[in-house]
Amino acid sequence: MKVKVVTHILEANDRIAAENRKLFHESGVYVINLMSAPGAGKTSCIERTIKELSSKLKIGVIEGDIAGTDDAKRIAKLGIPVVQINTGGACHLDANMINEVLVDLPLKTLDLLIIENVGNLVCPAEFRVGEDMKVMLLSIAEGDDKPLKYPLMFQESSALLLNKVDLLPYTNASIEKIKKNSLSLNPKLKIFEVSCKTGEGINKWVEWLQSLIK
Amino acid sequence: MHEVSIATSLLKIAVDNCKKEGYKGIELIKVKIGRASGIMPDALSFAFDAVKIGTIAEKATLAIDEIPVSGFCEGCKNSFTVEEAFVISCPQCGDISIRVETGHELHIYEMDVF
Repeated sequence: MKVKVVTHILEANDRIAAENRKLFHESGVYVINLMSAPGAGKTSCIERTIKELSSKLKIGVIEGDIAGTDDAKRIAKLGIPVVQINTGGACHLDANMINEVLVDLPLKTLDLLIIENVGNLVCPAEFRVGEDMKVMLLSIAEGDDKPLKYPLMFQESSALLLNKVDLLPYTNASIEKIKKNSLSLNPKLKIFEVSCKTGEGINKWVEWLQSLIK
Repeated sequence: MHEVSIATSLLKIAVDNCKKEGYKGIELIKVKIGRASGIMPDALSFAFDAVKIGTIAEKATLAIDEIPVSGFCEGCKNSFTVEEAFVISCPQCGDISIRVETGHELHIYEMDVF
Protein backbone atom coordinates (compact mmCIF):
# COMPACT_ATOMS: atom_id res chain seq x y z
CA MET A 1 0.00 0.00 0.00
CA LYS A 2 1.02 3.60 -0.58
CA VAL A 3 2.26 5.76 2.26
CA LYS A 4 2.84 9.48 1.88
CA VAL A 5 6.02 10.61 3.63
CA VAL A 6 7.04 14.08 2.35
CA THR A 7 10.21 14.77 4.29
CA HIS A 8 13.26 16.73 3.20
CA ILE A 9 16.16 14.28 3.15
CA LEU A 10 18.48 16.66 4.99
CA GLU A 11 15.79 17.35 7.59
CA ALA A 12 17.90 15.82 10.37
CA ASN A 13 20.82 18.18 9.67
CA ASP A 14 18.57 21.22 9.36
CA ARG A 15 16.75 20.35 12.58
CA ILE A 16 20.04 20.21 14.50
CA ALA A 17 21.19 23.43 12.78
CA ALA A 18 18.02 25.11 14.08
CA GLU A 19 18.76 23.81 17.61
CA ASN A 20 22.30 25.20 17.37
CA ARG A 21 20.97 28.54 16.17
CA LYS A 22 18.52 28.71 19.09
CA LEU A 23 21.33 28.00 21.56
CA PHE A 24 23.54 30.68 19.96
CA HIS A 25 20.77 33.28 20.18
CA GLU A 26 19.98 32.41 23.77
CA SER A 27 23.68 32.78 24.60
CA GLY A 28 23.93 36.11 22.71
CA VAL A 29 26.72 34.93 20.39
CA TYR A 30 27.06 35.88 16.71
CA VAL A 31 28.28 32.97 14.60
CA ILE A 32 30.11 32.99 11.28
CA ASN A 33 30.89 29.93 9.16
CA LEU A 34 34.20 30.62 7.37
CA MET A 35 34.81 28.63 4.16
CA SER A 36 37.42 28.49 1.42
CA ALA A 37 39.64 26.18 -0.60
CA PRO A 38 42.57 24.65 1.33
CA GLY A 39 45.35 27.18 1.83
CA ALA A 40 43.39 30.33 0.98
CA GLY A 41 44.10 31.78 4.42
CA LYS A 42 41.16 31.03 6.75
CA THR A 43 43.27 30.51 9.86
CA SER A 44 45.38 33.58 9.11
CA CYS A 45 42.18 35.58 8.66
CA ILE A 46 40.92 34.37 12.04
CA GLU A 47 44.25 35.29 13.67
CA ARG A 48 44.05 38.81 12.18
CA THR A 49 40.40 39.21 13.21
CA ILE A 50 41.23 38.14 16.77
CA LYS A 51 44.18 40.58 16.96
CA GLU A 52 41.95 43.47 15.87
CA LEU A 53 38.84 42.63 17.86
CA SER A 54 39.75 40.66 20.99
CA SER A 55 40.08 43.83 23.08
CA LYS A 56 36.50 44.74 22.16
CA LEU A 57 34.74 41.36 21.81
CA LYS A 58 34.98 37.94 23.47
CA ILE A 59 35.78 35.54 20.62
CA GLY A 60 35.67 31.74 20.43
CA VAL A 61 36.69 29.46 17.56
CA ILE A 62 35.74 26.00 16.30
CA GLU A 63 38.36 24.54 13.96
CA GLY A 64 37.36 21.89 11.41
CA ASP A 65 39.91 19.67 9.65
CA ILE A 66 39.99 16.11 8.40
CA ALA A 67 42.97 15.48 10.65
CA GLY A 68 45.51 17.33 12.78
CA THR A 69 45.38 20.09 15.37
CA ASP A 70 47.71 22.71 13.86
CA ASP A 71 44.98 25.29 13.38
CA ALA A 72 43.62 24.96 16.92
CA LYS A 73 47.17 25.32 18.29
CA ARG A 74 47.63 28.58 16.38
CA ILE A 75 44.41 30.00 17.83
CA ALA A 76 45.15 28.73 21.36
CA LYS A 77 48.43 30.73 21.29
CA LEU A 78 46.29 33.89 21.15
CA GLY A 79 44.56 32.93 24.41
CA ILE A 80 41.21 32.34 22.72
CA PRO A 81 38.86 29.44 23.64
CA VAL A 82 39.11 26.99 20.74
CA VAL A 83 37.91 23.45 19.95
CA GLN A 84 39.32 21.29 17.13
CA ILE A 85 36.97 18.95 15.25
CA ASN A 86 38.62 16.16 13.26
CA THR A 87 36.10 14.77 10.79
CA GLY A 88 38.19 11.71 10.01
CA GLY A 89 37.26 11.91 6.34
CA ALA A 90 34.12 14.02 5.97
CA CYS A 91 34.79 16.93 3.62
CA HIS A 92 32.63 19.49 5.44
CA LEU A 93 31.30 20.27 8.89
CA ASP A 94 27.65 19.45 9.56
CA ALA A 95 25.22 20.60 12.24
CA ASN A 96 25.69 17.51 14.37
CA MET A 97 29.49 17.88 14.54
CA ILE A 98 29.06 21.47 15.74
CA ASN A 99 26.34 20.49 18.20
CA GLU A 100 28.62 17.94 19.87
CA VAL A 101 31.41 20.43 20.68
CA LEU A 102 29.29 23.36 21.91
CA VAL A 103 29.48 21.98 25.43
CA ASP A 104 33.28 22.57 25.32
CA LEU A 105 32.95 26.33 24.71
CA PRO A 106 31.96 29.08 27.21
CA LEU A 107 29.14 30.18 24.87
CA LYS A 108 27.39 32.47 27.34
CA THR A 109 30.54 34.59 27.69
CA LEU A 110 31.19 34.89 23.95
CA ASP A 111 30.16 37.70 21.59
CA LEU A 112 31.52 36.10 18.40
CA LEU A 113 32.07 32.47 17.42
CA ILE A 114 34.06 31.76 14.25
CA ILE A 115 33.67 28.28 12.75
CA GLU A 116 36.54 27.48 10.39
CA ASN A 117 35.16 24.88 7.98
CA VAL A 118 37.16 22.15 6.24
CA GLY A 119 39.12 23.54 3.28
CA ASN A 120 36.82 22.82 0.34
CA LEU A 121 35.16 25.06 -2.30
CA VAL A 122 32.24 22.69 -2.86
CA CYS A 123 30.53 20.94 0.07
CA PRO A 124 30.54 23.35 3.04
CA ALA A 125 28.15 25.63 1.14
CA GLU A 126 25.53 22.86 1.10
CA PHE A 127 25.26 22.38 4.88
CA ARG A 128 23.76 24.66 7.47
CA VAL A 129 25.30 24.40 10.92
CA GLY A 130 23.29 27.11 12.69
CA GLU A 131 25.42 30.10 11.72
CA ASP A 132 24.25 33.73 11.36
CA MET A 133 26.19 34.05 8.15
CA LYS A 134 28.57 32.25 5.81
CA VAL A 135 31.76 34.08 4.86
CA MET A 136 34.15 32.86 2.21
CA LEU A 137 37.76 33.52 1.40
CA LEU A 138 39.26 33.41 -2.07
CA SER A 139 42.97 33.97 -2.49
CA ILE A 140 44.32 35.84 -5.53
CA ALA A 141 46.68 32.92 -6.18
CA GLU A 142 43.72 30.60 -6.91
CA GLY A 143 42.88 32.45 -10.10
CA ASP A 144 40.07 34.78 -11.19
CA ASP A 145 37.96 32.04 -12.82
CA LYS A 146 36.79 30.50 -9.53
CA PRO A 147 33.45 32.32 -9.04
CA LEU A 148 31.88 30.89 -12.19
CA LYS A 149 33.37 27.44 -11.52
CA TYR A 150 32.11 27.20 -7.92
CA PRO A 151 28.91 29.23 -7.96
CA LEU A 152 27.12 27.85 -4.89
CA MET A 153 29.86 28.91 -2.47
CA PHE A 154 29.63 32.51 -3.76
CA GLN A 155 25.83 32.49 -3.73
CA GLU A 156 25.54 31.20 -0.17
CA SER A 157 28.03 33.66 1.35
CA SER A 158 27.23 37.10 2.72
CA ALA A 159 30.84 38.28 2.46
CA LEU A 160 33.87 37.48 0.34
CA LEU A 161 37.40 38.20 1.53
CA LEU A 162 39.76 38.45 -1.44
CA ASN A 163 42.98 37.47 0.29
CA LYS A 164 46.68 37.67 -0.59
CA VAL A 165 46.33 40.95 -2.53
CA ASP A 166 50.04 41.44 -1.78
CA LEU A 167 50.63 38.72 -4.42
CA LEU A 168 48.85 40.65 -7.22
CA PRO A 169 52.09 41.74 -8.92
CA TYR A 170 53.10 38.06 -9.25
CA THR A 171 49.88 36.65 -10.74
CA ASN A 172 47.68 37.22 -13.78
CA ALA A 173 44.54 37.44 -11.67
CA SER A 174 42.15 40.32 -12.29
CA ILE A 175 40.39 41.65 -9.18
CA GLU A 176 37.82 43.34 -11.41
CA LYS A 177 36.91 40.02 -13.05
CA ILE A 178 36.54 38.29 -9.68
CA LYS A 179 34.31 41.09 -8.38
CA LYS A 180 32.19 41.29 -11.52
CA ASN A 181 31.53 37.55 -11.65
CA SER A 182 30.98 37.19 -7.91
CA LEU A 183 28.44 40.03 -7.91
CA SER A 184 26.65 38.54 -10.92
CA LEU A 185 26.12 35.39 -8.84
CA ASN A 186 25.25 37.29 -5.67
CA PRO A 187 24.53 41.02 -6.06
CA LYS A 188 24.39 41.45 -2.25
CA LEU A 189 27.86 39.99 -1.64
CA LYS A 190 30.10 42.29 0.45
CA ILE A 191 33.63 42.12 -0.96
CA PHE A 192 36.79 43.00 1.01
CA GLU A 193 40.26 43.09 -0.57
CA VAL A 194 42.72 42.03 2.11
CA SER A 195 46.09 40.63 2.90
CA CYS A 196 46.09 38.60 6.10
CA LYS A 197 49.88 38.61 5.83
CA THR A 198 50.45 42.39 5.67
CA GLY A 199 47.20 43.49 7.30
CA GLU A 200 46.08 45.51 4.27
CA GLY A 201 42.30 46.02 4.14
CA ILE A 202 41.65 44.13 7.38
CA ASN A 203 40.32 47.23 9.15
CA LYS A 204 37.36 47.49 6.75
CA TRP A 205 36.49 43.80 7.29
CA VAL A 206 36.58 44.00 11.10
CA GLU A 207 34.64 47.30 11.14
CA TRP A 208 31.86 45.71 9.11
CA LEU A 209 31.89 42.55 11.23
CA GLN A 210 31.74 44.58 14.41
CA SER A 211 28.77 46.58 13.10
CA LEU A 212 26.83 43.34 12.58
CA ILE A 213 27.53 42.09 16.08
CA LYS A 214 26.35 45.29 17.75
CA MET B 1 28.14 14.92 -3.90
CA HIS B 2 27.48 12.93 -0.71
CA GLU B 3 25.13 10.49 -2.39
CA VAL B 4 26.02 7.83 0.21
CA SER B 5 25.09 10.09 3.13
CA ILE B 6 21.94 11.19 1.28
CA ALA B 7 21.05 7.54 0.60
CA THR B 8 21.65 6.68 4.26
CA SER B 9 19.45 9.60 5.39
CA LEU B 10 16.59 8.76 3.05
CA LEU B 11 16.77 5.10 4.01
CA LYS B 12 16.55 6.05 7.71
CA ILE B 13 13.52 8.29 7.08
CA ALA B 14 11.79 5.49 5.11
CA VAL B 15 12.59 2.73 7.60
CA ASP B 16 11.65 4.85 10.65
CA ASN B 17 8.30 5.81 9.06
CA CYS B 18 7.64 2.18 8.13
CA LYS B 19 8.39 0.82 11.60
CA LYS B 20 6.41 3.58 13.31
CA GLU B 21 3.29 2.59 11.33
CA GLY B 22 3.88 -1.13 11.94
CA TYR B 23 4.72 -2.19 8.37
CA LYS B 24 7.07 -5.08 7.66
CA GLY B 25 8.82 -4.07 4.48
CA ILE B 26 9.28 -1.49 1.73
CA GLU B 27 8.91 -2.22 -1.98
CA LEU B 28 9.32 1.24 -3.49
CA ILE B 29 10.58 4.64 -2.35
CA LYS B 30 9.81 7.71 -4.46
CA VAL B 31 12.08 10.74 -4.18
CA LYS B 32 12.20 14.13 -5.88
CA ILE B 33 15.71 15.28 -6.72
CA GLY B 34 16.13 18.73 -8.25
CA ARG B 35 18.78 19.19 -10.96
CA ALA B 36 20.33 22.00 -8.90
CA SER B 37 20.55 19.93 -5.73
CA GLY B 38 24.04 18.65 -6.60
CA ILE B 39 22.91 15.05 -6.29
CA MET B 40 23.50 12.75 -9.28
CA PRO B 41 20.59 10.29 -9.69
CA ASP B 42 22.76 7.40 -10.91
CA ALA B 43 25.16 7.78 -8.01
CA LEU B 44 22.22 8.01 -5.60
CA SER B 45 20.70 4.76 -6.96
CA PHE B 46 24.05 3.04 -6.71
CA ALA B 47 24.54 4.23 -3.12
CA PHE B 48 20.98 3.28 -2.16
CA ASP B 49 21.43 -0.26 -3.47
CA ALA B 50 24.52 -0.58 -1.29
CA VAL B 51 23.09 0.82 1.97
CA LYS B 52 19.66 -0.92 1.81
CA ILE B 53 21.17 -4.42 2.29
CA GLY B 54 20.18 -5.97 5.62
CA THR B 55 17.29 -3.57 6.20
CA ILE B 56 13.50 -3.83 5.68
CA ALA B 57 14.08 -1.90 2.45
CA GLU B 58 16.39 -4.60 1.09
CA LYS B 59 14.09 -5.41 -1.85
CA ALA B 60 12.99 -1.81 -2.44
CA THR B 61 13.40 0.07 -5.70
CA LEU B 62 14.29 3.75 -5.59
CA ALA B 63 12.23 5.79 -8.07
CA ILE B 64 13.87 9.16 -8.72
CA ASP B 65 11.74 12.00 -10.08
CA GLU B 66 14.26 14.49 -11.50
CA ILE B 67 13.00 18.06 -11.24
CA PRO B 68 14.37 20.62 -13.74
CA VAL B 69 15.48 24.13 -12.79
CA SER B 70 12.71 26.62 -13.53
CA GLY B 71 11.74 30.09 -12.41
CA PHE B 72 10.47 33.55 -13.21
CA CYS B 73 12.30 36.58 -14.64
CA GLU B 74 11.46 39.97 -13.11
CA GLY B 75 13.00 41.62 -16.16
CA CYS B 76 10.93 40.28 -19.05
CA LYS B 77 8.14 38.85 -16.82
CA ASN B 78 8.43 35.38 -18.38
CA SER B 79 8.72 31.95 -16.81
CA PHE B 80 11.63 29.80 -17.87
CA THR B 81 12.88 26.23 -17.61
CA VAL B 82 16.48 25.25 -18.35
CA GLU B 83 18.34 22.01 -19.00
CA GLU B 84 21.37 23.02 -16.95
CA ALA B 85 21.85 22.48 -13.24
CA PHE B 86 22.64 26.14 -12.69
CA VAL B 87 21.17 29.41 -13.93
CA ILE B 88 22.35 32.94 -13.19
CA SER B 89 20.44 34.94 -15.78
CA CYS B 90 17.19 34.72 -17.72
CA PRO B 91 17.69 32.49 -20.79
CA GLN B 92 15.31 34.74 -22.75
CA CYS B 93 16.47 38.29 -21.96
CA GLY B 94 19.72 37.85 -19.96
CA ASP B 95 18.48 39.78 -16.88
CA ILE B 96 19.90 38.62 -13.54
CA SER B 97 16.74 39.50 -11.58
CA ILE B 98 15.45 35.95 -11.63
CA ARG B 99 13.62 33.90 -9.04
CA VAL B 100 14.44 30.19 -9.15
CA GLU B 101 11.36 28.24 -8.15
CA THR B 102 12.17 24.57 -8.78
CA GLY B 103 15.34 22.53 -9.02
CA HIS B 104 16.54 22.37 -5.42
CA GLU B 105 14.25 19.57 -4.26
CA LEU B 106 15.74 16.82 -2.14
CA HIS B 107 12.89 14.90 -0.59
CA ILE B 108 11.24 11.58 -0.12
CA TYR B 109 7.52 11.80 -0.85
CA GLU B 110 5.91 8.36 -1.05
CA MET B 111 6.54 4.68 -0.32
CA ASP B 112 4.94 1.35 -1.25
CA VAL B 113 4.93 -0.82 1.87
CA PHE B 114 3.51 -4.11 3.09
